[in-house]
Amino acid sequence: MSDGISVGLNCPACGGAISMAEGENVVLCQYCSSVLAAEGDQGVHTVAFKNKTLKDAAMGASQHWWTHGLKARDLKTTGKIVESYPIYLPFWKTTTRVAGWVCGYEERRHTDQKGNVTVERIPKEVMVLQDFTFSEIACDPGDLGIRTMKNFMGETTFANFEEIPTFESTTSKDAAATRGLNDSLAKARANAHVPQVTLDTLKAFNKGLTLIYYPVWVVRYNYRDRMYMDTVDGVTGQVLSGRAPGDPLFQSLAMTGGTSVGGLIAAAGIIYAQSASDMRIALGAVAVGAIILFLTYRFFRHGSEIIQGEFKEKKSIASALKQVQQVGKALEGLR
Amino acid sequence: MASIKCPKCAAPVPFDTGVKFVKCPYCSSLVYIDRTGAGFYYAIPFMVNENDAVGTFRRWAAGSTKAKDLDKLAQLAGVKKKYFPVYMFKRDVNGVEQVFIETAGSTTLPGLHNLKVPAGDLKVYDATFDVGGAELIKPDIEMTPYLNSLPGKPKEQALVFFPIWTIDYVFNQKKYGAVVDASSGEVFSSEFPTRSSNAYMAVAGAGFVAFIGEGLLATSMLIPAIALMAVTVVAVFYVGLQVARRM
Repeated sequence: MSDGISVGLNCPACGGAISMAEGENVVLCQYCSSVLAAEGDQGVHTVAFKNKTLKDAAMGASQHWWTHGLKARDLKTTGKIVESYPIYLPFWKTTTRVAGWVCGYEERRHTDQKGNVTVERIPKEVMVLQDFTFSEIACDPGDLGIRTMKNFMGETTFANFEEIPTFESTTSKDAAATRGLNDSLAKARANAHVPQVTLDTLKAFNKGLTLIYYPVWVVRYNYRDRMYMDTVDGVTGQVLSGRAPGDPLFQSLAMTGGTSVGGLIAAAGIIYAQSASDMRIALGAVAVGAIILFLTYRFFRHGSEIIQGEFKEKKSIASALKQVQQVGKALEGLR
Repeated sequence: MASIKCPKCAAPVPFDTGVKFVKCPYCSSLVYIDRTGAGFYYAIPFMVNENDAVGTFRRWAAGSTKAKDLDKLAQLAGVKKKYFPVYMFKRDVNGVEQVFIETAGSTTLPGLHNLKVPAGDLKVYDATFDVGGAELIKPDIEMTPYLNSLPGKPKEQALVFFPIWTIDYVFNQKKYGAVVDASSGEVFSSEFPTRSSNAYMAVAGAGFVAFIGEGLLATSMLIPAIALMAVTVVAVFYVGLQVARRM
């Protein structure tokens, strides 16, 4: 090794220069047609999508996005785009085949006229043979609000590679492949629709791992001295993620709607329960009212910023919804 | 762009950070870049300038959990452009690639609990790299102790300088600090003035209870109940608007 880190590759049979791409492990020598196998760390197959969105289109898509949803009403007149530039974001994409059987049963409850409950057990046996794609960003997503790929179609080329800043992959390819396998198994299990599983012989096979560089426009804009950002898909031209200022009017309207609808549902439940003398209906109605109140309250409290995309805060909203579901299930148990 | 010497013709071969194979532009030999034995220095260019960093901080400060009007009332006490060092190791552990991020400097950043290499365009940091006036925080922990203690065989090891803006600000005579990642615009902070939820909860709670009461009243006295509901709608809307604007 001359420079310590550069290793020249040539055909061991004829000495000719070899031409091969990352991710390939078998190559044919173009001079002597020897079949050569590459050993060691050959990397991953890499693909870059062509950036098809122009600067004006990216800015136009952002400005159009400002006018949708519950964003500040004066955003389209007050907001000003400061800069917009494309970047290449790295994604791991895995294709996984899942094959096997999921066996189990489904329980159905029947209530006859006398109020007797009988449980019918229906055995189920489902064959699975399906391919799944999984994608995740191959670097820290930072505050871009992007974690997975939304679009897998597009022209591939490395032509824009020099002029567009490329975010490097900094996560482990094997860790991504493992997550891809687990994700596919979970999806396959869910697709089988067997409520109670007794036997599961699903196996997942990794069919391929690709590193995809995907073009994304970053648009930064100013609103009342604050700097907001959104991202636009460089292939489809759609807004992928972003942050935008909210509007106190919408926050207040949400709260008015939430308290009135939630409160009246709860009241109606209580009134109905009194006439039917069944307290469980009252409990259920109050719970439904409280859930409506809770969801609108969240928007009232945090609606001063509208976010779209896979941001870290979004997770907390998802977990809040899960909490609501759990409370709902617990109440169902009471019934 | 950084370059290596072609092992065949000794010409300089430029290469980008992410690639493993590169073709010599002079003799067309394919060159494999072996990173297992060398330590690389990388730096991520600044994509957020000072104005944008302050603007991003103000957007963050206007967030619903921060004190009301923090974006307008926070007085900036210092905005500094810095490069923060972390080590990134790629190892082959029993045939599985693993990435380890380790601290390179004893300085810690507020709010950055998990060390990471932020998203960015990794460039080889050498004499030609322009830091753009940023202060380079020197790593005071060596790479070698990590190399000996980490599991597996080395695939690549690098010192990564990532770009940050540190923002010191004063609010109610108290000093706070925040860090803006100058590549993706993420804001980190460990302590900040917070906003109370009490006013918001009071509006929600009072409105909900009032509507339940009025709904129950509607069975006996329909018209007064509807009148009360109309008053409550206006009241919740008006108070809610004031709270969302000012509290």
